[in-house]
Amino acid sequence: MSVAPANPLEMLAYVVSKNIQDKQIVYVGTGLPMVGAILAKKTHAPNITLVYESGGQDPIEGSMPWSVADPVTWRKSPITMEMPLSFAQAANGYVDVAFQGAAQIDMYGNLNTHIIGNDFLNPKARLTGSGGGNDLISLTENTIIVGLQTPEKFPVKLDFITSPGHLYGGNSRKEAGLLGNGPVAVITQLGVYDFEPVTKRMRIKSLHPGITIEIAQACTGFELLVPEGEIPVTETPPLDVLEILRNEVDTQKMFISFPPQ
Amino acid sequence: MEFMYATQEQFDRLVDFKGAREYHLSKSRVKKDKRMSLGEAIDRFVQDGDILAETGFSYVRSPIQAYFEIIRQGKKNMVSIGSPMSNTSYLMTANCVYAIHLSYIGVEMRGNDKNFARNIKTKKAEILSIWSHGSMALGFKAAQLGAPFIGSKQLLGSDMLKYNPYVKVIENPVGLDKSEPVVIIPALFPDVCIIHVQKADRYGNAVIEGPAINDIALAAACRKVIITAEKIVPEMSIRELGNACIPFWYVDAVVELPYGALPGCCPGCYYWAREWWEWLVRIGTPKEENVQDVMRYWIYETKDQFEFIEKLGGIRFINHATRLMEAAQANIDDSLVSFDYQEVIPKWD
Repeated sequence: MSVAPANPLEMLAYVVSKNIQDKQIVYVGTGLPMVGAILAKKTHAPNITLVYESGGQDPIEGSMPWSVADPVTWRKSPITMEMPLSFAQAANGYVDVAFQGAAQIDMYGNLNTHIIGNDFLNPKARLTGSGGGNDLISLTENTIIVGLQTPEKFPVKLDFITSPGHLYGGNSRKEAGLLGNGPVAVITQLGVYDFEPVTKRMRIKSLHPGITIEIAQACTGFELLVPEGEIPVTETPPLDVLEILRNEVDTQKMFISFPPQ
Repeated sequence: MEFMYATQEQFDRLVDFKGAREYHLSKSRVKKDKRMSLGEAIDRFVQDGDILAETGFSYVRSPIQAYFEIIRQGKKNMVSIGSPMSNTSYLMTANCVYAIHLSYIGVEMRGNDKNFARNIKTKKAEILSIWSHGSMALGFKAAQLGAPFIGSKQLLGSDMLKYNPYVKVIENPVGLDKSEPVVIIPALFPDVCIIHVQKADRYGNAVIEGPAINDIALAAACRKVIITAEKIVPEMSIRELGNACIPFWYVDAVVELPYGALPGCCPGCYYWAREWWEWLVRIGTPKEENVQDVMRYWIYETKDQFEFIEKLGGIRFINHATRLMEAAQANIDDSLVSFDYQEVIPKWD
């Protein structure tokens, strides 16, 4: 039987999974990062440990969580932690990578989940607020940002800095007193980006099949840095991995159906 | 500080370390039967103007049926705090809460809460301070530890610092590197919290199964604590395991309230009414009149949790919700249990 090729969200989930290395301790939020992390665990990274802000630690495998505090996130967990202690272990150097989404991302990987519009008291749209987002990116050793890329979602200037990435570039993150490396990668439906080491500006690392620099730039509000030489094409999921993703990870197609529900 | 509704005293009371201590000193130490009805507990221990702390994780082991009772009793002028705090939205609509210390309001992947946004936009309620989950949790934890403040590495570089008058960035005076920036987070002492637990004894010793979130800290910090419990058990059954996380002397009232966390889930007991939340966020919250309809049907025209369950589908709903929770926790053979359900997706949104 033939397998349909990956849709953009499945591709996103796959790239997330490939950014997780075996034996890491991984902080997962809701949505695609969770799908990617569980996929990683079922494929190339069986020895990762998943931890959740709501307190679940190292659950056994289960169905797709409906919430970040779903019982599946502490399914037969040997320990659950109070929320401040769950964040504290990131500050104390026990968490390798955290994943985050956002309504807006700027060229330094700063994130906004508070408001759209520049008047805090009277914004065009009011979003959820920080939740654990600010804590994860402030404390965890590495953060990977996951989201859909549009010029509105990747603006020149954020309407509000909820979660600090590389702040204003250069050494500004370190000078602000934040822990860890901050954002190390951005994964979207178009490509994978990293941050140029000196300026800390977002730079193309690879583009998904069929995506050109022009398309990526057209979907970005700020100027993307382009590396020298040929830009690699992001690896697409092998069919067996796709089947695991569809049949064993997000079986209800909560996060990987396209167009999104 | 200038506020629209909150008083300066209400604003200061949250960080009144000594005031909270005085209050705790004044509380009765008598180990007595504190059982009472939900109505009486809310009437006696939730007062107009209180700072109410949201407990659980928005819709995981949160005392939602007790919040509905607060609405039915028409409490007023309260300030809300918590991380997360998704139930404050309708407490604002019901005129119970007029100000908020905000960390997160929404229903995760189900979406932003447009009712909350509208309540702020129309000035029905105001935001007093802004927090991340972790920084607010540290404020509660500091209170539990008896520490006037905690130094943290959250919030640095964030615009939240501009909208949080309680916290302060300083250079770490005791660090190896004296120029290292840290954020000073004061201990936070809300007036009252309602904590829903799986079991408690009649005196208030309480056991939590699953994530405790901020509740152990809040029980120690809050001036008044109401326990609502799925089950009241003999004191000896708690003594045998020695696993209470809230001691009786913190507790003012104990309410036996099976299904008290519905429409949220309660670990070890029942799964969410998932469609209810999607209905609320995707159909209920976009328009003010829809919110009013939701509140009329589910709160004002519903006497208690049992009538609420009848509206959700009665024994079939409860059986399914119980089964899903047991399956999610791997307490039963879940190989034939399906988590599939019909998601609520309005065509016009």
